[in-house]
Amino acid sequence: MGLEESMPSFLTGTVEDVVGWARGASIWPVTFGLACCSIEMMATGGPRFDIARIGSEVFRSSPRQADLMIVAGRLSQKMAPVLRQVYDQMSEPKWVLAMGVCASSGGMFNNYAIVQGVDHVVPVDIYLPGCPPRPEMLLGALMAIKEHAKKTPLGAHRREIAKAVEEAALAALPTSEMKGLLR
Amino acid sequence: MTVKQEWAMTPPTVTAIIDGIRVTVPPGTLIIRAAESIGIEIPRFCDHPLLEPAGACRQCLVEIAEPGPDGKLRPYLKPQTSCSMVLTEGMVVRTQVTSKVAERAQRGIMELLLINHPLDCPVCDKGGECPLQNQAMTTGQADSRFTEAKRTFEKPLTLSTEILLDRERCILCQRCTRFSDQISGDPFIELQERGARSQVGAFDPEVLDFDGYAPTGLAAEDESGRPFSSYFSGNTIQICPVGALTSAGYRFRARPFDLVASPSIAGHDSSGSAIAIEHRRGKVLRVLAGNDPEVNEEWITDKDRFAFPWSSLDDRITRPLVRGEDGELREATWPEALARAADGLREAVSGARSKGVGVLPGGRVTLEDAYAYQKFARVVLGTNDVDARSRIAGDEEEAFLGSRVAGSGLGVTFADLEAAPVVALIGFEPEDEGGVVFLRLRKARGRQKVFTFAPFVSRGNAKLDATLVPTVPGLEGAALDSIRRGSGTVGDVFDGLSQEGAVLVVGERLAGVPGGFTAAVALADRTGARLAWIPRRAGERGAVEAGALPGLLPGGSSAQSAEAREGVARVWGVSGLPLAPGRAAYDILGLASSGGLSGLVVGGLTLSDLPKTLANGIAKAPFLVSLEVRLSDVTAHADVVFPVAPSSEKAGTFVNWEGRLRPFTAALQTSALSDHRVLDMLAREMGVTLGTPTVEAVTAELARIPIDDSLRPPPPSASGPSAAEAARRAKATTLATWHALIDQGSLQDGEPFLAGTARVPVARMSPATVAALGIEGRVLKVSGPGRGTISLPLAVTPGMVDGVVWLPMNSPGSTVARTLGVAHGDTVSVKGSES
Amino acid sequence: MTRADVPFVSNLPRKGAAGRFFAPVAGFGVTMRNIFRRPKTEQYPRQKLPTEPRYHGRHQLNRHPDGLEKCIGCELCAWACPADAIYVEADSNTPEAQYSPGERYGSVYQINYLRCIFCGLCIEACPTRALTMTNDYELQGPTREGLIYEKQDLLAPLAPGMLLAPHPMVPGTTDADYYRGDVTQAVRKQIDWVRENRPDDPSLPEVHHG
Repeated sequence: MGLEESMPSFLTGTVEDVVGWARGASIWPVTFGLACCSIEMMATGGPRFDIARIGSEVFRSSPRQADLMIVAGRLSQKMAPVLRQVYDQMSEPKWVLAMGVCASSGGMFNNYAIVQGVDHVVPVDIYLPGCPPRPEMLLGALMAIKEHAKKTPLGAHRREIAKAVEEAALAALPTSEMKGLLR
Repeated sequence: MTVKQEWAMTPPTVTAIIDGIRVTVPPGTLIIRAAESIGIEIPRFCDHPLLEPAGACRQCLVEIAEPGPDGKLRPYLKPQTSCSMVLTEGMVVRTQVTSKVAERAQRGIMELLLINHPLDCPVCDKGGECPLQNQAMTTGQADSRFTEAKRTFEKPLTLSTEILLDRERCILCQRCTRFSDQISGDPFIELQERGARSQVGAFDPEVLDFDGYAPTGLAAEDESGRPFSSYFSGNTIQICPVGALTSAGYRFRARPFDLVASPSIAGHDSSGSAIAIEHRRGKVLRVLAGNDPEVNEEWITDKDRFAFPWSSLDDRITRPLVRGEDGELREATWPEALARAADGLREAVSGARSKGVGVLPGGRVTLEDAYAYQKFARVVLGTNDVDARSRIAGDEEEAFLGSRVAGSGLGVTFADLEAAPVVALIGFEPEDEGGVVFLRLRKARGRQKVFTFAPFVSRGNAKLDATLVPTVPGLEGAALDSIRRGSGTVGDVFDGLSQEGAVLVVGERLAGVPGGFTAAVALADRTGARLAWIPRRAGERGAVEAGALPGLLPGGSSAQSAEAREGVARVWGVSGLPLAPGRAAYDILGLASSGGLSGLVVGGLTLSDLPKTLANGIAKAPFLVSLEVRLSDVTAHADVVFPVAPSSEKAGTFVNWEGRLRPFTAALQTSALSDHRVLDMLAREMGVTLGTPTVEAVTAELARIPIDDSLRPPPPSASGPSAAEAARRAKATTLATWHALIDQGSLQDGEPFLAGTARVPVARMSPATVAALGIEGRVLKVSGPGRGTISLPLAVTPGMVDGVVWLPMNSPGSTVARTLGVAHGDTVSVKGSES
Repeated sequence: MTRADVPFVSNLPRKGAAGRFFAPVAGFGVTMRNIFRRPKTEQYPRQKLPTEPRYHGRHQLNRHPDGLEKCIGCELCAWACPADAIYVEADSNTPEAQYSPGERYGSVYQINYLRCIFCGLCIEACPTRALTMTNDYELQGPTREGLIYEKQDLLAPLAPGMLLAPHPMVPGTTDADYYRGDVTQAVRKQIDWVRENRPDDPSLPEVHHG
């Protein structure tokens, strides 16, 4: 809850753009390397790929100073509460990137020990396939997050969108009735 | 006991040596089985434990030596097939495990079999569960020396609308032809041609290459016009060791390794056959026969095998429906629908102008569902008007069921039926109404005498070599009585039934015959024959056990007995059970159609099986609650519709006609609820605890219901038609009718391939009757008391009882109950026509 | 003698006097060496470096030279998949709708890229070389459903001479001729068939007048 929440709606049109540009231009990730994917995540931070080029200047170890959580690797059931706690400790606005198939859906570890996608624990904004994804793929996903962040609605728009999302979720087909690969 | 006597009592055995291991087996054991018993598996394709040995595929070759008359071992010059040779005393067998010769012989046979076998495993339905594929991988050679072109055939050959044959994959093991010949008795496929052109085919002039002779008569009964007309043809697909036989419905739809098999129980007839429901990601792809030696062995009917798509059709109900202000059904939430149903039923039961509520669970319920329905009627609605028999059913049948069937446990079994020296069938057509019962009877052919009380020898009965006891429909009781009195020329039936182990089978049609059950019980008591009641629907025996009949409480005690009511009330924890005698289903519907009921609770009831006047009762009921899987004629009139689960999506228990409990679990995990769970929720909404939320709860409660034989209803005692009535019937034309196994039943919807294997509906009459009534033309028009008429091709049937016309009960163009409003044994009028 | 009694001896070569003197700042040597080199940073996404030729990227469902699909719906790829990422449903080809040579074709083909680990076992399993991998790696999305690729997303683009399936096989050929490579492009009869049944099909060659 900040200033933007109580702003009159005629202002937010332009404020949204400016704030979005600022937010998108410097998304700092929190380190959440869980497995092999985090090696590629580290490579992305290295000189060959240089994550700083796109504004993700530095990985923060403190969630309070981070905007983005890159969940890199398979999330075990035991780790899930920790992940959620770190997410809760991040300050708004915040985004989540599920890096690699394990974080996105459980991947090849379809078993009792692994959470079948971190979206069971935290809301995910961008899913990134790959096992592990190339650093280029992570950069691509970061650009997608950046575009996403630029368009973050404020104030009344935000409430509208939240309402629409809620309604869509209520109308969605329950997982038990899904067919094919989604089941 | 002396030593000598003891010796005489031990069963004879033979002892031989297989691969250096001494083995002792009963005489007559095949070598391949003896080897199995010591854990040596000899590869085989044509061998099947339930079929006669053939030695057709030659894959099971072993080296054999037998002692000659001088006691010296004499080896056979060449390897022999172990599946067709019996183990004899002193034999020395060497299989591929110890013998180089046998191993090389088997390798050679495998290479030969693969010469003409196409390499199309990726597109073959059997790929992944194929014995040939498996054995080629384990014992075959990686390379083929055969470089020439493989033999090809036009593919696939449609044997029937359901069964397709790819001849190039066939390895000529003859399992299918032997099954058709030995087990089902429909030898419509056979080996044709010679040498390299040998192939399995139907009796098709084109394939057989002898035009001018096409089969007529029996084979022409297939609706598709193809001659492989068998109710059991699907079994040939399952026993085919390669992918030569496929079913049109499953062909190319899935691969075996992708399917999950859930064991279950077939719900299409009262046999309770073991099946395996094979599904993938929430969708049933096929049904296979399970292996239960005590019930269905390894066979099931085509209806059990192929009729499963009905529950996943588009008209499946997934959410409760309530009738809105505009008179249309609309989707509602469970709480809303439950509240509406509870309000309506409360008003119907205890409102100012209440006339009571009837409950019709339908005949396909599980034991648990039937129990919940009757408890709901008796505890929540306070009435005995509950009847799961959605067919003609009177007090006489109920007395029979109460006194002889309910709570009697396992009575006559499939094994008893097979072992019986004499079986008499009354009001029961084994092939059409019994399913695998027919296969058991046919298995005993040759050692068993079958008498059938029917107007003519049907094709099924002909395959059993049954002797006809000519019986006019509706006068079965009189026919039984005359046998009991020993009159007429049917004395051998009486003598036969007096033999030890003889069985008298009564079917559901006897319920519509006044005095029928009385006569059957009297004959059984007089001769000492055992009685077996084989109903048609899967849930009927379970409904009897659960007390879902107006005059019967759970456990078989009479609802009229104060002591029985008290015993059940104590288990249920209620102050008392309703006193007023209940009414049978037809009476409940009749009452409803004349406005005599305030409401109905209806389960899986099919209106097409009911006369129109009674079906109208559904529409006339002021408040109707329906528990259905799919939209139906009943839901069209319902005020509240609750979706319930088909048997593939719920756990439960069928009780088969033997009285054997056949529990099954849900094959598919869905959110659909069982009837007993819905009724439990509805009762709770009405302020009553029904206590049937789970199968376990019902089972536990059923176990506490007291069973006391002294509280059973009295045996049936009804008189048959009077002499005057019988004389009147003798002059009129009487209708004989029963359901064909494959007909228009709602559980066969959505399977056009199966429907194509149904037999062509015909009307049957004897030549004498046709002549006496002066009928001309190829089509017979049959009409009843109402306005409807059924026109079917006339099949003049020699040997049929005069004055009788036979129609299929519910086949395309012949919906007897709905169109004519008559039943088995009623009089109809007939006339001939050209078209 | 216990382990603790053995004196520690380093395996590193002992440095001389100069080495010992510069040791505290020796670490800057790496920095010094690299400070005048050109940066190696890849400028993704502005500059996309090609992957190795056999890089395991997004899948592709190939076509025969006349445009019929190579996939026969045998599900061997789904069977081989260690992550259960592939879902196939097969169906029968009919004269009205022939998608692949022979009797069987894949009617539903889905790959869930949120399960796929790009191991390539499916490619090895494919008996008709219908499934191969491209070098395309740019995959990401905001929803799970969006990353389940359907058959139309995976099918290879039409090369010259190809016609969009379904259409009949080249007259007089069997599926074996297709696998031997005897079919090289769509023939007149196939083009006529498509023109008759789907006149608006975009894959039809342009009619030359005159």
